[in-house]
Amino acid sequence: MKKPLAILTGIVVLAVLALLPLWLGPFYTRVVQFFFFSAALALSWNILGGFAGYWSFGHTAFIGIGAFSAALFGMNVGTFGTGPVSMIVPLLVAGLVCGLFAAVIAYPTLRLRGIYFAIVMLGVSQVVSELVNNISWFQGGVGVFLTSPVPSGVAPEDFYYYMFGGLLLLAFLITLLIKHTRFGYALLAIREDEDTAMMLGVATERYKILAFVLSAVLVGLLGAVYGYSVGYFTTYTVFRLDFSLNMIVFCLIGGIGTLFGPIIGTAVMLFITQVLLSRFLDIHLLITGLIVVAIILLMPGGILGALSRSRRSSLARKAEVQP
Amino acid sequence: MMLFLQTTLNGLVLGGLYSLAAVGFSLIFGVMGIVNLTHGVFVVAGAYGALLLFRHLGIDPFIAIIPIGIVLFAIGYAYQRTIIHWAISRASLVASLVVTFGVAMILRNLMQLAFGPDVQTITPSYSFTSIALGPLQIDLVRLVALGASLILLLVLALVLARTQFGRAVRATAQQPLAAELSGLSVQRLHGLTFGLSAALAGASGAIIGIVQPFSAASEVAWTLNAFIVVVLGGIGSPAGALVGGLLLGLINAYTAQYVGPSLTTAMMFLVLVLMLLVRPQGLLGNSFGESR
Repeated sequence: MKKPLAILTGIVVLAVLALLPLWLGPFYTRVVQFFFFSAALALSWNILGGFAGYWSFGHTAFIGIGAFSAALFGMNVGTFGTGPVSMIVPLLVAGLVCGLFAAVIAYPTLRLRGIYFAIVMLGVSQVVSELVNNISWFQGGVGVFLTSPVPSGVAPEDFYYYMFGGLLLLAFLITLLIKHTRFGYALLAIREDEDTAMMLGVATERYKILAFVLSAVLVGLLGAVYGYSVGYFTTYTVFRLDFSLNMIVFCLIGGIGTLFGPIIGTAVMLFITQVLLSRFLDIHLLITGLIVVAIILLMPGGILGALSRSRRSSLARKAEVQP
Repeated sequence: MMLFLQTTLNGLVLGGLYSLAAVGFSLIFGVMGIVNLTHGVFVVAGAYGALLLFRHLGIDPFIAIIPIGIVLFAIGYAYQRTIIHWAISRASLVASLVVTFGVAMILRNLMQLAFGPDVQTITPSYSFTSIALGPLQIDLVRLVALGASLILLLVLALVLARTQFGRAVRATAQQPLAAELSGLSVQRLHGLTFGLSAALAGASGAIIGIVQPFSAASEVAWTLNAFIVVVLGGIGSPAGALVGGLLLGLINAYTAQYVGPSLTTAMMFLVLVLMLLVRPQGLLGNSFGESR
């Protein structure tokens, strides 16, 4: 797609999405809002897992840390401003805490590769969640509050629709920026062959840590806003294994390491599970598992990978016909 | 002092079970480099199998190990030759992580549909007898369970070390290509290893069913336990699984006794994280490590 056309399409899509809640009705606004949240999570995971090839199985740790930092800050320090303005400081705190935590654990954990990194992140998320749940200061067992920032006269689902939409846009723009800069190329080099990249002078360590921190900060912000949207939450509302797994599954289905893959994957998966199968809750796991297995076996590159492969082969066929 | 000894004893008995439940996982990890996230399902399936045989036919769980082992061996073999093999040849080794996870989700859901979400236990007539070792108390069932685990681990170690099959498996693990060139069917051996692993998981499940309550959802915990045991002890060998399992059992028992029962999960994962950072190959190292 040519650049002006792409920008024009982007603006049209944004305008449509911005006006969508007007005729969607509360239920579907909530569905789309959850789609924004999940897609933004998948995009953030994709920075580390897709581009750098470091699959984290414990990114839900940052959802939890973000949500709890925002809430504990509000409860211990106080609120600044009212309405939407009151979100600014807690969100900054959430992003900062997540970034710092990621920076601290990045150095030791990123020395591990492949399956070991995946599992150590799972371990980190479990340890953090158990500590939050059992150390009384964190109040993870009893639950914490975030005062609603929704201004009067605005429906909460509309407010969070735009909040999560904005965060999705932010995650998308950051991904776009990464993909087309030196940073993105460095991450791809790390994914393809880390030792060679290091030998050729790519500062692998620094780029990996940066990708990890960036991914963690984005997930932390999403976690904090998620905390606001539920208002009251305990440890297990935000530290959820299925959040971690969904990020991976959504990326995998759309096409890992691509720009649109995580968004497409989230849309397809949520459409199947939330809309088509919303009445068959007892076989949700079964369906999700079947889709995951089928995707790996039938189209290992995800939906985008399969599309680009079929386009390439049809181009090749055309080239054969016209010598 | 008595409390400490009793805690240690409980930890060791628990650890024996962890070892047996993890050894198959460790074998697959060592031989094929696959992290089999379906492993916990095999354990729980073994427990459900023992429950069915006990309830409907009155077969003792310790005898049920044999039919369960045979059935799970067949399932494991077929599973590797089809889904796992397809996934690895079409995508990558990491993809096997996702595929086995997907299969685990499917099977957990099927078990939930078949047996309901309730927590189950197997209670043979002898399950509440306990014997005294001096001032220490131990359940007879747990002692026999520990003995059965140790015997199965020993048999596996002997099979791997002494038989033609064991040599072939070790050869495939160290140099798949060279093994293939020497006339071994690597594909078949991978299938057999998977079958063996599933059979051992099922056997451990049958024993676990008497000692601990279980449900379909506990498969996650058993997979994670297996992983922790492997990381603690070392990949691929029965000895590594034994060391790792006993350590995990002790960690569990001491944490529950001296720190607080709610913190056992946190402590287990903390040890896992620290171990991965300090010595990711485990205490005894990777027994098939030359090629990796």
